[in-house]
Amino acid sequence: MKRNKIVAVLLCLAMGLGMLAGCAGDSYTADNTEFVIGVSGPLTGDEAIYGQAVKNAAELAVEEINAAGGLNGVKFKLVVTDDMNDPTKVSTNYSSMLEGGMQISLGTVTTSPGLEFKNLSADDNVFFLTPSASGDAIPSGPNGYQMCFADGNQGKVAAAFVNENLAGTTIGVFYKSDEAYSKGVYDQFKANLDPSIEVVETSFTDANATDFSAQINTLKDCSFIFMPIYYSPASLFMTQAKDLLSPTAVYYGCDGFDGIDSIPGFDISQIPQAVTMLSHFNSKAEDGPAKTFIDKYVDKYGRDTLNQFGASAYDCVYAIYGAMKKAVDEGTEIPVTISASDLCDILKAQFDGGYTMTDAVTGASISWDEQGYVNKSAIQYVIKEAG
Amino acid sequence: MEEILSALIGGLSLGGIYAMIALGYTMVYGIAKMLNFAHGDIIMVGGYTIYVVMATGSPLLAIAAAVVVCVALGVVVEKLAYKPLRGASPLAVLITAIGVSYLLQSLAQIVFGSAPKMVTVYQFGTVTFLGATVQVSALVTLAVAAAVMAGLTLFIKYTRVGRAMLAVSEDRGAAQLMGIDVNGIITLTFAIGSALAALAGLFYLLKAPTVSGTMGAMPGIKAFTAAVIGGIGSIPGAMLGGIALGLVESVSYSFAPIAPYTDAIEFSLLIVILLVRPTGFLGRKRREKV
Amino acid sequence: MKRPGSKLKHHLHFALIGGITAVLGVLTLTGARFDSSLLFLLEKIAISIILAVSLSLVVGFLGELSLGHAGFMCVGAYLGGKVSALLVPLLGNGPAAFLVSLAAGAGAAAVCGIGIGIPALRLRGDYLAIVTLAFGEIVKSLFQNSSPESFGGALGLDTPRYDKRYLFLFAFLLVLLTVMVVQNLIRSKHGRAITAIRDNEIAALSCGINVTKYKLLAFTLSAAFAGVAGVLYSYSNYTVQSLRFGYNYSIEILVMVVLGGMGSIPGAILSATLITFLDTQLAAILTGDLAVLQNLLYAAILIAIVIYNNAPALKGFRDKYNLAALAKKLRRSAPDPAAVRDDAAKWDVVPTKIDMDELLSVDIADRGHQEGGDDP
Repeated sequence: MKRNKIVAVLLCLAMGLGMLAGCAGDSYTADNTEFVIGVSGPLTGDEAIYGQAVKNAAELAVEEINAAGGLNGVKFKLVVTDDMNDPTKVSTNYSSMLEGGMQISLGTVTTSPGLEFKNLSADDNVFFLTPSASGDAIPSGPNGYQMCFADGNQGKVAAAFVNENLAGTTIGVFYKSDEAYSKGVYDQFKANLDPSIEVVETSFTDANATDFSAQINTLKDCSFIFMPIYYSPASLFMTQAKDLLSPTAVYYGCDGFDGIDSIPGFDISQIPQAVTMLSHFNSKAEDGPAKTFIDKYVDKYGRDTLNQFGASAYDCVYAIYGAMKKAVDEGTEIPVTISASDLCDILKAQFDGGYTMTDAVTGASISWDEQGYVNKSAIQYVIKEAG
Repeated sequence: MEEILSALIGGLSLGGIYAMIALGYTMVYGIAKMLNFAHGDIIMVGGYTIYVVMATGSPLLAIAAAVVVCVALGVVVEKLAYKPLRGASPLAVLITAIGVSYLLQSLAQIVFGSAPKMVTVYQFGTVTFLGATVQVSALVTLAVAAAVMAGLTLFIKYTRVGRAMLAVSEDRGAAQLMGIDVNGIITLTFAIGSALAALAGLFYLLKAPTVSGTMGAMPGIKAFTAAVIGGIGSIPGAMLGGIALGLVESVSYSFAPIAPYTDAIEFSLLIVILLVRPTGFLGRKRREKV
Repeated sequence: MKRPGSKLKHHLHFALIGGITAVLGVLTLTGARFDSSLLFLLEKIAISIILAVSLSLVVGFLGELSLGHAGFMCVGAYLGGKVSALLVPLLGNGPAAFLVSLAAGAGAAAVCGIGIGIPALRLRGDYLAIVTLAFGEIVKSLFQNSSPESFGGALGLDTPRYDKRYLFLFAFLLVLLTVMVVQNLIRSKHGRAITAIRDNEIAALSCGINVTKYKLLAFTLSAAFAGVAGVLYSYSNYTVQSLRFGYNYSIEILVMVVLGGMGSIPGAILSATLITFLDTQLAAILTGDLAVLQNLLYAAILIAIVIYNNAPALKGFRDKYNLAALAKKLRRSAPDPAAVRDDAAKWDVVPTKIDMDELLSVDIADRGHQEGGDDP
């Protein structure tokens, strides 16, 4: 028995020394023949639908740009790694992408892993523009930018709407207490709410994300319910609550609501209550760039994964391409083997210097402020009227 | 008042679901002396079966199919994964059960994808009861859970097979010497437990009409907690523990300040009860022999 | 007992880890730079080894099932992380702040270990498992719902990360410390008392062993080292997010211990290393649609290994085809009879309680089989 363990430990040592062969090189991008964009997102697990949407839409944008000749003939390449929404997977994903030649990044798809990613990329000065990691702290570094609205901003805008239209009334709030997104929106909503408004609030956690009878019971007299949560628990809540709440009640959600009207098996017309959301993208858009994007996306990947995450990722790729193109047009040289850090400095100068994207899928005019938060207008979409 | 009443009724029906799952845990523990960690995932398989068969539009067919599939799966898992380990250390069996749980969850993701699926089995309305609005499905759940438990108690007490099950749980070796087919009894226990899991899955879908690969994990853990609170190995204990846990959960979620701490409250309850009564409410003390 | 070579054998894994650490340390200090991916992998492996070896003390040597190891790690990560977040601005991100955080994290986890151990150790086997599982979930839930100023709440606690060029060296020094403490404990008279409790608690009690004291000792020490792993975790990540520390993580650690062979420290080290290595490398290979296969493979391998290692019916098969038999065939030498009788020298392969159970129950199972055969 003893001997086989010694053999095993020896094997272990051999493995360890084998790995040592890979010492750090000076530049990981010296052999690049394309510009490499990296992104880490949940491709498996409960949040896989968001990662899949970002992967598909970013791929779509990269293919279009390449088909149109890339950046002065140099093509782009997308690398997607799976983080299962687990922050501990990010360091491995990030380092393997960087060592694989990544020059620009879309950061992470979700906020939890993004909190690791922003620091790792700040250490190496790697530019990232995240499509959907909406945590307030994500763009805190000099190298990070957001395409989606930060959670706190969504909470503030929603509070302003409620203050204006529902002063002096009682409203309901339903949020997910153990999720960064939901809690982030909720905190800023509460902080900016007019004191004349009374709030009945209830929450749920990951462990109890399907059965909402107790929460419905708490909210049953509310005629306006603010729900900063994602669409799948929201649709469950609505299904379970449809006979228990007033048929004229209004559900008011944030960008997490997008896609609620296209869940297989969930017929939103069966819900008597009204559903409204505050978002930058409407997956039922009938005209404009959003419609063009939806047609191309559905044609290629189907409707299952169509949501605001994908739309935002599509815009991210074009924003990065546009900024690089603008820099080249202004006379900056961007060779294909440029290091991530040098490219980051070029892109930072563009994004901080008033670079504006027009007629994008998620906004008619998009720019970024000093901190990296996005400037664009939020639109209130009525998904469904009451009745 | 009405709020408390509807919280109580919601809690009772949730408790009924927990009790049905807990029965599966407790019977398998009592008879096979193992923690079947994969029991919660049988619920998930039942849920997906209902989702698939509901395409035919017949709820009854879907329920029957779910019971059949779950029983078959329970028996197959027992034969392939647990039977070879009979007599091995409890820890080895536990790890295998965990492996089976992971296996079922990842198979579900491969077959059905990662997005949760919505499925409406049957639309019950609501009734007004003492001024409180109550879901009819909650009452149905409660009634069926009570009937199942009564039936199971009678079955164990008064039938030959039921008494054989009791004998095996009491002393496996002696039961074998008395000519009881121990392996057959263990298989039967898994079959009954899995059928109950399928029913629990159905009522879970009536409450929350969505199926996903991990839907069974947390109800499984909670029901196991309920079984331990009630005294593991005891059938009335599983019912009592399930109902108690369901009530605590429902009431806790009704009060906003403590709602986020609901899980912590439930698990603390477990610890406190085990401190006061180390064998749970109705568990029996086992004297250890040298 | 004084056979030449026996000492080296017991310390071989120790010497190997020490050797690797020393080589890497010298290389680092002389200015060599390694890829971040290698450094991150080494940090993760070190954390896994500390967790597996410390859990092995409770599961393998004390013979109690704990499903809350990640809970103790969580306490260490949050408390150590909080202390380092407060200290680093004052002391700088150096060894001083690191050591203080380490003491704080390990101490807090040890206190939790005592707190949960005193009541829980009255319970046996599966009851202890569910209580430790409940403890882990409670800890997770409390940190998850903490206020943003105290422990960060849902967004997690921001903690300083140690310079990645040096952190893995500290991590491996801590691995050495863990292995040394656990191994010395097991080989001491206290360790023999602990294994005696595992093998037969009542017999141990009747020999005058203070069962409660030794159970608590093993449990607390194990919790303290889980706390050490937690502090290390907080130093190797920029945030500590409590959702990571659910019961699934406790089970992952338990799997490392069981696959390494219960009651074997080199086994725990090896399987922690291999599982962590595979976990990070498989994710890089199986991307996109293939990623789901990773869990499936993991589960299937787990079931197969446990059945192969434990099934009573496969005992004959196991005895015939295994690594030890293969090695023996290669060496073509008879086993040294002295080695078998020398219990102290064989501290890590003392027949476990599990083996005893297996022996006894094989008997019953065989009898049942024969009866089944006679009865048409």
